[in-house]
Amino acid sequence: MTTPSDLRVGSALAAQTNNTSITQVFRYSAATWNTHRIHYDKEYALKEGYPDVLVQSHLHGALLTKYCTDWAGRAARLTDLSLRVRRFAVAGETLSIVGTVRAVRAGDERRALVDLDLVETRGSDGETCVEASATIEVPRSWIGEGILP
Amino acid sequence: MAVDDAVRTALEREVGVEHEELLGEISATLTRRYAAAVGDSDPLYHDAAYAKSLGYANVVAPANFLPGVICWSEGAPYDRLREDGTEADTHLPGVPAKGVRVMGGGEEMHFTRPVVAGTVVSRRTVLLDVTPRDTKQGLMLVARYQDEYVDEGGQELLRSVRTVLLR
Repeated sequence: MTTPSDLRVGSALAAQTNNTSITQVFRYSAATWNTHRIHYDKEYALKEGYPDVLVQSHLHGALLTKYCTDWAGRAARLTDLSLRVRRFAVAGETLSIVGTVRAVRAGDERRALVDLDLVETRGSDGETCVEASATIEVPRSWIGEGILP
Repeated sequence: MAVDDAVRTALEREVGVEHEELLGEISATLTRRYAAAVGDSDPLYHDAAYAKSLGYANVVAPANFLPGVICWSEGAPYDRLREDGTEADTHLPGVPAKGVRVMGGGEEMHFTRPVVAGTVVSRRTVLLDVTPRDTKQGLMLVARYQDEYVDEGGQELLRSVRTVLLR
Protein backbone atom coordinates (compact mmCIF):
# COMPACT_ATOMS: atom_id res chain seq x y z
CA MET A 1 0.00 0.00 0.00
CA THR A 2 1.22 3.45 -0.89
CA THR A 3 1.68 5.42 2.31
CA PRO A 4 1.71 9.19 2.62
CA SER A 5 5.50 9.15 2.80
CA ASP A 6 5.87 7.72 -0.72
CA LEU A 7 3.01 9.52 -2.41
CA ARG A 8 4.39 10.63 -5.73
CA VAL A 9 3.47 10.49 -9.40
CA GLY A 10 3.55 6.91 -10.61
CA SER A 11 3.12 5.34 -7.16
CA ALA A 12 0.90 2.27 -7.32
CA LEU A 13 -1.71 1.71 -4.64
CA ALA A 14 -2.46 -1.77 -3.37
CA ALA A 15 -5.03 -3.71 -5.36
CA GLN A 16 -8.44 -4.52 -3.88
CA THR A 17 -10.38 -7.59 -4.94
CA ASN A 18 -14.17 -7.86 -4.83
CA ASN A 19 -15.90 -11.20 -5.23
CA THR A 20 -19.27 -10.26 -6.62
CA SER A 21 -22.19 -12.66 -6.35
CA ILE A 22 -25.71 -12.95 -7.61
CA THR A 23 -26.84 -12.17 -4.07
CA GLN A 24 -24.84 -8.96 -4.05
CA VAL A 25 -26.17 -7.90 -7.44
CA PHE A 26 -29.72 -8.60 -6.27
CA ARG A 27 -29.23 -6.72 -3.00
CA TYR A 28 -27.71 -3.75 -4.84
CA SER A 29 -30.70 -3.65 -7.21
CA ALA A 30 -33.05 -3.86 -4.23
CA ALA A 31 -31.27 -1.15 -2.22
CA THR A 32 -31.30 1.21 -5.21
CA TRP A 33 -34.71 0.20 -6.65
CA ASN A 34 -33.01 -0.74 -9.90
CA THR A 35 -35.66 -2.74 -11.75
CA HIS A 36 -33.64 -3.40 -14.90
CA ARG A 37 -34.09 -7.09 -15.77
CA ILE A 38 -30.51 -7.41 -16.98
CA HIS A 39 -29.49 -7.56 -13.30
CA TYR A 40 -31.82 -10.34 -12.08
CA ASP A 41 -33.38 -12.14 -15.04
CA LYS A 42 -30.84 -14.56 -16.53
CA GLU A 43 -33.16 -15.52 -19.38
CA TYR A 44 -33.43 -11.85 -20.34
CA ALA A 45 -29.66 -11.42 -20.05
CA LEU A 46 -29.09 -14.43 -22.33
CA LYS A 47 -31.55 -12.99 -24.85
CA GLU A 48 -29.51 -9.79 -24.79
CA GLY A 49 -26.37 -11.75 -25.59
CA TYR A 50 -24.77 -11.89 -22.16
CA PRO A 51 -23.75 -15.09 -20.36
CA ASP A 52 -25.49 -14.15 -17.10
CA VAL A 53 -26.99 -11.23 -15.21
CA LEU A 54 -24.79 -8.14 -15.14
CA VAL A 55 -23.11 -6.15 -12.38
CA GLN A 56 -24.72 -2.69 -12.31
CA SER A 57 -22.64 0.22 -13.58
CA HIS A 58 -23.38 1.97 -10.28
CA LEU A 59 -22.11 -1.05 -8.35
CA HIS A 60 -18.87 -0.78 -10.29
CA GLY A 61 -18.88 2.85 -9.19
CA ALA A 62 -19.60 1.87 -5.60
CA LEU A 63 -16.67 -0.56 -5.54
CA LEU A 64 -14.40 2.14 -6.96
CA THR A 65 -15.73 4.58 -4.36
CA LYS A 66 -14.96 2.07 -1.61
CA TYR A 67 -11.46 1.57 -2.98
CA CYS A 68 -10.83 5.32 -2.79
CA THR A 69 -12.39 5.89 0.62
CA ASP A 70 -10.63 2.84 2.11
CA TRP A 71 -7.34 4.30 0.91
CA ALA A 72 -8.17 7.84 1.96
CA GLY A 73 -9.22 6.98 5.51
CA ARG A 74 -10.60 9.66 7.81
CA ALA A 75 -7.92 12.30 7.20
CA ALA A 76 -8.52 12.58 3.46
CA ARG A 77 -11.67 13.09 1.36
CA LEU A 78 -12.78 11.78 -2.01
CA THR A 79 -13.90 14.80 -4.03
CA ASP A 80 -14.32 13.47 -7.57
CA LEU A 81 -14.80 10.14 -9.30
CA SER A 82 -15.31 9.60 -13.01
CA LEU A 83 -15.79 6.18 -14.53
CA ARG A 84 -16.40 4.69 -17.92
CA VAL A 85 -17.69 1.15 -18.31
CA ARG A 86 -15.68 -0.59 -21.02
CA ARG A 87 -16.86 -4.17 -20.68
CA PHE A 88 -19.58 -5.95 -18.75
CA ALA A 89 -19.07 -8.12 -15.70
CA VAL A 90 -21.48 -10.87 -14.75
CA ALA A 91 -22.59 -11.65 -11.21
CA GLY A 92 -20.04 -13.97 -9.63
CA GLU A 93 -17.11 -12.30 -11.38
CA THR A 94 -14.08 -11.34 -9.31
CA LEU A 95 -13.27 -7.68 -9.88
CA SER A 96 -9.87 -6.26 -9.01
CA ILE A 97 -9.18 -2.56 -8.70
CA VAL A 98 -5.78 -0.94 -8.73
CA GLY A 99 -4.90 2.75 -8.61
CA THR A 100 -1.89 4.75 -9.71
CA VAL A 101 -1.02 8.30 -8.72
CA ARG A 102 -1.32 10.43 -11.87
CA ALA A 103 -0.68 13.83 -10.29
CA VAL A 104 -0.11 15.56 -6.98
CA ARG A 105 -1.35 19.13 -6.90
CA ALA A 106 -1.33 21.98 -4.44
CA GLY A 107 -4.67 22.72 -2.74
CA ASP A 108 -4.83 25.35 -0.07
CA GLU A 109 -2.40 25.95 2.81
CA ARG A 110 -3.37 22.73 4.57
CA ARG A 111 -4.50 20.43 1.77
CA ALA A 112 -3.15 18.88 -1.40
CA LEU A 113 -4.96 17.05 -4.19
CA VAL A 114 -3.99 13.60 -5.37
CA ASP A 115 -5.29 12.46 -8.77
CA LEU A 116 -5.56 8.72 -9.30
CA ASP A 117 -6.01 6.59 -12.40
CA LEU A 118 -8.05 3.50 -11.56
CA VAL A 119 -8.56 0.30 -13.50
CA GLU A 120 -11.04 -2.43 -12.65
CA THR A 121 -10.38 -5.79 -14.29
CA ARG A 122 -12.37 -9.01 -14.27
CA GLY A 123 -10.66 -12.11 -12.94
CA SER A 124 -12.00 -14.53 -15.54
CA ASP A 125 -9.91 -13.12 -18.40
CA GLY A 126 -8.03 -10.08 -17.08
CA GLU A 127 -9.95 -7.71 -19.35
CA THR A 128 -10.64 -4.15 -18.24
CA CYS A 129 -14.25 -3.56 -17.18
CA VAL A 130 -13.98 0.02 -15.98
CA GLU A 131 -11.51 2.85 -16.40
CA ALA A 132 -11.80 5.61 -13.85
CA SER A 133 -10.12 8.62 -12.35
CA ALA A 134 -10.46 10.08 -8.89
CA THR A 135 -9.32 13.10 -6.94
CA ILE A 136 -8.67 12.84 -3.23
CA GLU A 137 -8.04 15.82 -0.98
CA VAL A 138 -5.28 14.89 1.46
CA PRO A 139 -3.46 16.70 4.29
CA ARG A 140 -0.56 18.65 2.87
CA SER A 141 1.61 16.92 5.46
CA TRP A 142 1.13 13.68 3.49
CA ILE A 143 3.16 15.10 0.61
CA GLY A 144 6.89 14.73 0.81
CA GLU A 145 9.44 17.48 0.29
CA GLY A 146 9.89 18.59 -3.30
CA ILE A 147 6.76 16.84 -4.62
CA LEU A 148 4.50 19.86 -4.94
CA PRO A 149 5.35 22.50 -7.53
CA MET B 1 -38.55 -1.79 -31.92
CA ALA B 2 -35.18 -0.28 -31.16
CA VAL B 3 -34.11 3.34 -31.07
CA ASP B 4 -34.71 5.19 -34.33
CA ASP B 5 -34.90 8.78 -35.52
CA ALA B 6 -38.32 9.21 -33.87
CA VAL B 7 -36.87 8.22 -30.49
CA ARG B 8 -33.91 10.46 -31.13
CA THR B 9 -36.20 13.40 -31.95
CA ALA B 10 -38.31 12.77 -28.85
CA LEU B 11 -35.23 12.62 -26.69
CA GLU B 12 -33.70 15.72 -28.26
CA ARG B 13 -36.83 17.67 -27.32
CA GLU B 14 -35.82 17.05 -23.72
CA VAL B 15 -32.36 18.60 -24.13
CA GLY B 16 -32.05 21.59 -21.82
CA VAL B 17 -35.37 20.98 -20.02
CA GLU B 18 -34.81 21.01 -16.27
CA HIS B 19 -36.70 18.60 -14.04
CA GLU B 20 -36.71 19.10 -10.28
CA GLU B 21 -37.73 16.34 -7.92
CA LEU B 22 -38.01 16.20 -4.15
CA LEU B 23 -36.37 12.88 -3.31
CA GLY B 24 -37.30 13.09 0.34
CA GLU B 25 -35.55 12.44 3.63
CA ILE B 26 -32.61 10.08 3.43
CA SER B 27 -33.23 7.39 6.01
CA ALA B 28 -30.48 5.68 7.99
CA THR B 29 -31.93 2.30 7.03
CA LEU B 30 -31.64 3.08 3.33
CA THR B 31 -28.03 4.25 3.55
CA ARG B 32 -27.09 1.31 5.78
CA ARG B 33 -28.69 -1.10 3.31
CA TYR B 34 -26.80 0.56 0.49
CA ALA B 35 -23.47 0.17 2.31
CA ALA B 36 -24.33 -3.43 3.19
CA ALA B 37 -25.17 -4.23 -0.44
CA VAL B 38 -21.84 -2.79 -1.55
CA GLY B 39 -20.07 -4.78 1.15
CA ASP B 40 -18.71 -1.71 2.92
CA SER B 41 -18.55 -2.21 6.69
CA ASP B 42 -17.07 1.20 7.51
CA PRO B 43 -18.68 2.14 10.86
CA LEU B 44 -19.25 5.66 9.56
CA TYR B 45 -22.00 4.16 7.38
CA HIS B 46 -23.51 1.87 10.03
CA ASP B 47 -22.87 3.12 13.57
CA ALA B 48 -24.66 6.34 14.52
CA ALA B 49 -22.69 6.73 17.76
CA TYR B 50 -19.42 6.44 15.85
CA ALA B 51 -20.61 8.96 13.24
CA LYS B 52 -21.64 11.35 16.02
CA SER B 53 -18.20 11.01 17.60
CA LEU B 54 -16.84 12.43 14.33
CA GLY B 55 -19.27 15.35 14.41
CA TYR B 56 -22.04 14.05 12.13
CA ALA B 57 -25.69 14.10 13.19
CA ASN B 58 -26.21 10.48 12.08
CA VAL B 59 -24.68 7.81 9.88
CA VAL B 60 -23.21 9.02 6.59
CA ALA B 61 -24.03 7.57 3.18
CA PRO B 62 -21.27 6.13 0.97
CA ALA B 63 -20.17 8.83 -1.46
CA ASN B 64 -21.95 7.54 -4.57
CA PHE B 65 -25.17 6.60 -2.77
CA LEU B 66 -27.33 9.40 -4.23
CA PRO B 67 -26.64 8.70 -7.94
CA GLY B 68 -26.70 4.96 -7.21
CA VAL B 69 -30.39 5.02 -6.32
CA ILE B 70 -32.37 4.68 -9.55
CA CYS B 71 -35.88 5.43 -8.27
CA TRP B 72 -36.92 7.49 -5.26
CA SER B 73 -40.66 6.95 -5.49
CA GLU B 74 -42.79 3.93 -4.61
CA GLY B 75 -42.32 2.64 -8.15
CA ALA B 76 -44.42 2.66 -11.31
CA PRO B 77 -47.36 0.33 -12.02
CA TYR B 78 -46.38 -2.71 -14.05
CA ASP B 79 -48.02 -1.37 -17.21
CA ARG B 80 -45.66 1.61 -17.09
CA LEU B 81 -42.49 -0.47 -17.18
CA ARG B 82 -40.41 -0.84 -20.31
CA GLU B 83 -39.61 -4.29 -21.64
CA ASP B 84 -36.28 -4.15 -19.83
CA GLY B 85 -38.00 -3.45 -16.51
CA THR B 86 -37.07 0.24 -16.20
CA GLU B 87 -39.73 2.78 -15.34
CA ALA B 88 -41.11 4.71 -18.28
CA ASP B 89 -42.37 7.80 -16.45
CA THR B 90 -39.79 8.60 -13.81
CA HIS B 91 -36.72 7.39 -15.68
CA LEU B 92 -35.52 9.10 -18.87
CA PRO B 93 -38.41 11.41 -19.82
CA GLY B 94 -39.03 11.42 -23.57
CA VAL B 95 -37.98 7.83 -24.10
CA PRO B 96 -40.84 5.51 -25.18
CA ALA B 97 -42.10 2.93 -22.71
CA LYS B 98 -41.66 -0.02 -25.05
CA GLY B 99 -38.78 -1.42 -27.03
CA VAL B 100 -35.91 0.80 -25.92
CA ARG B 101 -33.07 -0.83 -24.06
CA VAL B 102 -31.27 1.28 -21.49
CA MET B 103 -27.80 0.79 -20.01
CA GLY B 104 -25.49 2.85 -17.84
CA GLY B 105 -22.30 3.92 -19.60
CA GLY B 106 -20.44 5.78 -16.91
CA GLU B 107 -20.57 8.79 -14.66
CA GLU B 108 -18.58 11.83 -13.54
CA MET B 109 -19.30 12.70 -9.91
CA HIS B 110 -18.23 15.62 -7.73
CA PHE B 111 -18.83 15.02 -4.03
CA THR B 112 -19.44 18.44 -2.51
CA ARG B 113 -20.67 17.51 0.98
CA PRO B 114 -21.20 14.29 2.91
CA VAL B 115 -24.80 13.06 2.86
CA VAL B 116 -25.96 12.43 6.42
CA ALA B 117 -29.05 10.37 7.24
CA GLY B 118 -31.96 12.70 7.97
CA THR B 119 -31.08 15.14 5.20
CA VAL B 120 -33.95 16.10 2.89
CA VAL B 121 -32.65 15.96 -0.67
CA SER B 122 -33.87 17.36 -3.98
CA ARG B 123 -32.47 16.72 -7.43
CA ARG B 124 -32.34 18.91 -10.51
CA THR B 125 -31.83 16.97 -13.74
CA VAL B 126 -31.19 18.23 -17.24
CA LEU B 127 -30.41 16.30 -20.41
CA LEU B 128 -27.22 17.86 -21.75
CA ASP B 129 -26.98 16.23 -25.17
CA VAL B 130 -27.81 13.20 -27.28
CA THR B 131 -25.24 11.70 -29.64
CA PRO B 132 -26.12 9.01 -32.22
CA ARG B 133 -23.64 6.20 -32.72
CA ASP B 134 -23.70 3.42 -35.30
CA THR B 135 -22.93 0.04 -33.77
CA LYS B 136 -22.99 -3.57 -34.94
CA GLN B 137 -26.40 -3.88 -33.26
CA GLY B 138 -27.71 -0.78 -35.06
CA LEU B 139 -28.29 2.78 -33.92
CA MET B 140 -27.33 3.61 -30.36
CA LEU B 141 -28.02 6.92 -28.66
CA VAL B 142 -25.63 8.24 -26.05
CA ALA B 143 -27.45 10.61 -23.69
CA ARG B 144 -25.70 12.66 -21.03
CA TYR B 145 -27.71 13.81 -18.02
CA GLN B 146 -26.53 16.32 -15.44
CA ASP B 147 -27.86 15.83 -11.92
CA GLU B 148 -27.45 18.24 -9.04
CA TYR B 149 -28.43 17.08 -5.56
CA VAL B 150 -29.13 19.72 -2.91
CA ASP B 151 -30.27 19.71 0.70
CA GLU B 152 -33.31 21.54 2.11
CA GLY B 153 -31.21 24.69 2.48
CA GLY B 154 -30.24 24.59 -1.19
CA GLN B 155 -26.65 23.61 -0.47
CA GLU B 156 -25.12 21.35 -3.07
CA LEU B 157 -24.36 17.82 -1.92
CA LEU B 158 -23.25 16.23 -5.16
CA ARG B 159 -23.34 16.90 -8.87
CA SER B 160 -22.81 14.43 -11.62
CA VAL B 161 -22.95 13.85 -15.34
CA ARG B 162 -24.12 10.35 -16.18
CA THR B 163 -23.97 8.67 -19.55
CA VAL B 164 -26.91 6.51 -20.59
CA LEU B 165 -26.79 4.21 -23.60
CA LEU B 166 -30.05 3.55 -25.45
CA ARG B 167 -30.52 1.07 -28.25
